Amino acid sequence: MTGRRIMTADEIRRAVVRISHELVEKQAGTAGLALVGIQRRGVPLARRLADAVDEHEGVRLPVGALDITFYRDDLSLVAAQPVVKGTELPFDLNGATIVLVDDVLYTGRTIRAAMDALVDFGRPQAIRLAVLVDRGHRELPIRADHVGKNVPTSREEVVRVHLTEIDGEDDVEIERRVDAAVVEPIPEGIV
Amino acid sequence: MAERGWMAVAPGRPTGVAIGAAVADLEISRAWLVDPSSGREGPGELVVSDGVLEAVSWLAGDEAAGIDDGGVIVAPGFIDLHAHLREPGNEDAETVASALAAAAHGGFTAVCAMPNTSPPADEPGVLSLVRAAAAASGSPVALLPYGTVSAGRAGEVLAAIGELADAGAVGFSDDGAPVRSGSLLRNALLYAGAIGLPIVDHPEDLEQTSGAEANEGLVATILGLRGWPGAGEVAAVARDLAIFADVLTDSPGARLHLTHLSTAAAVEQVRAAKRRGLPVTCDVTPHHVALTGEWLAGARRWAWQALDDSGRARDPWADGVLVAEPYDQSTRVNPPLRSADDAAACLAALVDGTADAVATDHAPHTVVDKAVEFGVAATGISGIETALGLLLAAVDAGRLTLGRAIGALTTGPASILGARLGRSAGLTEGAPADLVVFDRSDGWRVSADGLVSRGKNSPLIGQTLSGRVLLTLAGGRLAYEDPALADPYALPARHPWRHRLGAGRSPGDRRTDARRSNGDTPSPNNRRSASAMRSSRIARRLLGQLVPLARPGPAGGPSSTLRA
Amino acid sequence: MSLDVERPGVGDAPAAGDSTPAGGRPPAVDRPPAAGAWLHRHLLDVDALSWPDIDLVLRTTDAMREVLARPIAKVPALRGTNVTILFYEASTRTRVSFEVAARNLSADVSNIAVASSSVTKGESLVDTVKTVEALGARILVIRHAVSGAPYLAASVFTGHVLNGGDGWHAHPTQALLDLYTMRSRLAGDVAVTAPGAGRFLSGRKVVIVGDVLHSRVARSNIWTLTAAGADLWLCGPATLLRGFEAWARAGAGGVADRRFTVTSDLAAALRDADAVMALRIQQERMAGGMLPSLREYAARYGLTAERLGAAKPAAFVLHPGPMNEGVEIAPDVASGPRSVITDQVTNGVAVRMALLYLLAGSAGGEALGG
Repeated sequence: MTGRRIMTADEIRRAVVRISHELVEKQAGTAGLALVGIQRRGVPLARRLADAVDEHEGVRLPVGALDITFYRDDLSLVAAQPVVKGTELPFDLNGATIVLVDDVLYTGRTIRAAMDALVDFGRPQAIRLAVLVDRGHRELPIRADHVGKNVPTSREEVVRVHLTEIDGEDDVEIERRVDAAVVEPIPEGIV
Repeated sequence: MAERGWMAVAPGRPTGVAIGAAVADLEISRAWLVDPSSGREGPGELVVSDGVLEAVSWLAGDEAAGIDDGGVIVAPGFIDLHAHLREPGNEDAETVASALAAAAHGGFTAVCAMPNTSPPADEPGVLSLVRAAAAASGSPVALLPYGTVSAGRAGEVLAAIGELADAGAVGFSDDGAPVRSGSLLRNALLYAGAIGLPIVDHPEDLEQTSGAEANEGLVATILGLRGWPGAGEVAAVARDLAIFADVLTDSPGARLHLTHLSTAAAVEQVRAAKRRGLPVTCDVTPHHVALTGEWLAGARRWAWQALDDSGRARDPWADGVLVAEPYDQSTRVNPPLRSADDAAACLAALVDGTADAVATDHAPHTVVDKAVEFGVAATGISGIETALGLLLAAVDAGRLTLGRAIGALTTGPASILGARLGRSAGLTEGAPADLVVFDRSDGWRVSADGLVSRGKNSPLIGQTLSGRVLLTLAGGRLAYEDPALADPYALPARHPWRHRLGAGRSPGDRRTDARRSNGDTPSPNNRRSASAMRSSRIARRLLGQLVPLARPGPAGGPSSTLRA
Repeated sequence: MSLDVERPGVGDAPAAGDSTPAGGRPPAVDRPPAAGAWLHRHLLDVDALSWPDIDLVLRTTDAMREVLARPIAKVPALRGTNVTILFYEASTRTRVSFEVAARNLSADVSNIAVASSSVTKGESLVDTVKTVEALGARILVIRHAVSGAPYLAASVFTGHVLNGGDGWHAHPTQALLDLYTMRSRLAGDVAVTAPGAGRFLSGRKVVIVGDVLHSRVARSNIWTLTAAGADLWLCGPATLLRGFEAWARAGAGGVADRRFTVTSDLAAALRDADAVMALRIQQERMAGGMLPSLREYAARYGLTAERLGAAKPAAFVLHPGPMNEGVEIAPDVASGPRSVITDQVTNGVAVRMALLYLLAGSAGGEALGG
């Protein structure tokens, strides 16, 4: 770890619990709600949210995974991130209230692509957005309904979310991007 | 550092000799001379005066110190037994003029033109057309035309062999195709044999090779190309040899020459036939000696590098040597580039004399005819300018001696052409100067722009070959001059050359002329004294300049007698 | 044909989070390709694909199969990209397969069936390719009757060339869909590229029966199946196996553990086979003097249910199509329970979608074709 930790494991847990309550509150219940995590780290987050809702509401919300690889607007990214992780939406979207779940909200393009993908699967009643970190710098008119933590950042900084299911530990860190001449491996989840 | 041959150029003055003009005055000192016709090779000097090779001196002892065969070399002008000049009928691919210029760039001073033009040279009118084009080109390179064997190259009836012979044909060939009918071949051998001219056959069994694209073998299999079986050549050679043997009993003067042999088995048949006393001759091309079918798959190594220690062809995929794109149309040729062991057999045939000569099968094509799908691309390699380089690659690799390489380009073809060549094939004093000067230590990168021929279809484009041709003289006239020679400052400092190259007449010749016009014919005594004058002048120069010049001498130095 | 990689500079790569500033192609910033990315500008042959390349294709194909299973089987990945399909050989199924694949990626498709090659009709291949490029083609799918034609096209086309089959030489998309089909039947969804993994057909006997000599499907499958570790057998009349013995002994790529077996003994070939592929026999082979008659071929080499009894009970049958039912394959085998021919068709669309996607996004580097 080379950066500064901005969320600890406990903070992440509390944010997830809080958001899970907010989801139900906004919907005034659990009926019609479905969680769709955006690959890659949005998926375990969506599962954790579903677990949390199950704990305090006793209802198991449907959880799906959405890969927006084919919906990106920049073909050159194919080489940067070649591996496709797969989409799985094992429920009917028609009339459902879909909550998209992602780890970091930045320019908004991933969410736009996710919405394009969703409408190819059906016609949801509503689409909402829950993110763990909102780092600002929106380039599209997109807003999250539920935010774990607002983190003002500059464009030179990198926000990295680690989740146990994928990275073996829970935290969120931020660091200044290293010198341009150094080739860094592109972390997962970047669009 | 060993001293190479030297040549002094009047500073700041181009040599000023036009292509085709007689060379009045050329002296080359301290070069490596190769003269297969006399069997001699070694350090030497020569003097050309008024187009005639006045003196050839071999150096020995201290004078010869430091001169070896790795630098500037002087050889007799090369003779190409097999070239396609394309005129008349396909002037976009090549004209007689461009072909002869290309030949000179390759070091050739005599070229035998194949008759598969359009119209084909099956009667004297076409022959005179071709010779007129040669004369009009102003090139001093000799054009020796073949006539066809059959009328129209149709393979059915004999062409006007006698008339063609009278019009100057040096032999007969249906090349591009074999003489299809055995009985026609028999008759042609008899008829031409009585006149004393050879039949040059392109041995190919068309039934076996119909539609073929690449040598039958691993490369053809993997690239999905229709195979060209070796048996297609071997069967044809066997047929030709059998017919020839029969004909000889009736006509001992008959002569058969098999051209561009490419397979080990065919070469072996000729070897066995020669051992039995059959007066058959054959040639191989530089590309069949140095390249292999691997080049179609994208390999770019020499044939001898593609052979393992037990003499078997290596697998280019296993060796990881595929560096170029496959299906390069410039590698499509008839006969096809064969396997490494076939190439080795062709090289061995050159070494032991089974192959009497190297002939280029220069086959220029337009871009249009070649830039199409491989299987429909025209066959042929534009090779007259790269022949020397390919043979030198074999010499550099120790697979061939320099003497044998030069012999295959000079005395070998001369022995097949006989009197029809019209000149000696060696560095012969008193004969018109016919020679090539090349620098083995200087390479040249083959490029489309650098090729003089209109045909840029060479698989060697992008490769660097050794043996840059500096000067070619044909019949005493200048045929080719490397552009660097005209600019003394472009001469590489590492090998101080000295040559004087002038057109027009020098003071000594004017005195000879004056005597001649006074009715005094130059007696042999006078001639000798003229050459003795030259030799002593060289001796004086040598004695005075034992330290080689790194730069041309100051103006007014010994070169001041140069007349441009 | 080497993997020449030209990596774009890192430049001003954006931070973690969402996408690049500018939409559409090409990006304002460059990123280096990730390890295991697709770096080939063209796909002309399978022999230059590395194992990671093949695995990437298979995994992308998995994702494309999922797309095909959706109610709207379409994604916008190639929106705005023109894919031109240039077929010099008559072929309905493959041409349509490519078109469907391109449309499923929302590409603009131009589908051109050229009656013949430059040898009989006016315009040369080079001119046609340049024209097609001037008309906006970014990806060119080309099928041609002469081996090597796609290389000529690639030498003058500035976009991406995908070989849809050239002469006898190669049919990369077919070999990849065959591999995909075999993998799904024999190896499940095993992730084939844990480093050092791979050879998922190891221990499996795969047999190709038919006119191998004239088959680009056979040649390309030799590369992929031996790379996957299969025990590959080629079987047919000796006249149609000419030249393959030398290659079999040398091994694909000259590699010893990529050798295969060539035989005219059908019974030996089929014994305990895990997968059998039948190749089409064409009428022209009789005219070429290679076969006495189709009837004799069918009698000696036709794939019947009875002959297939010698194979493993779970063995399945493939055919690249179109089929001559009753000649190389019996009708009941072609439509029977062992046949995976329809899977091949579906997988074909998915594989072609994957390849179009990967080519379109290839770093545009100077990777040599193939």
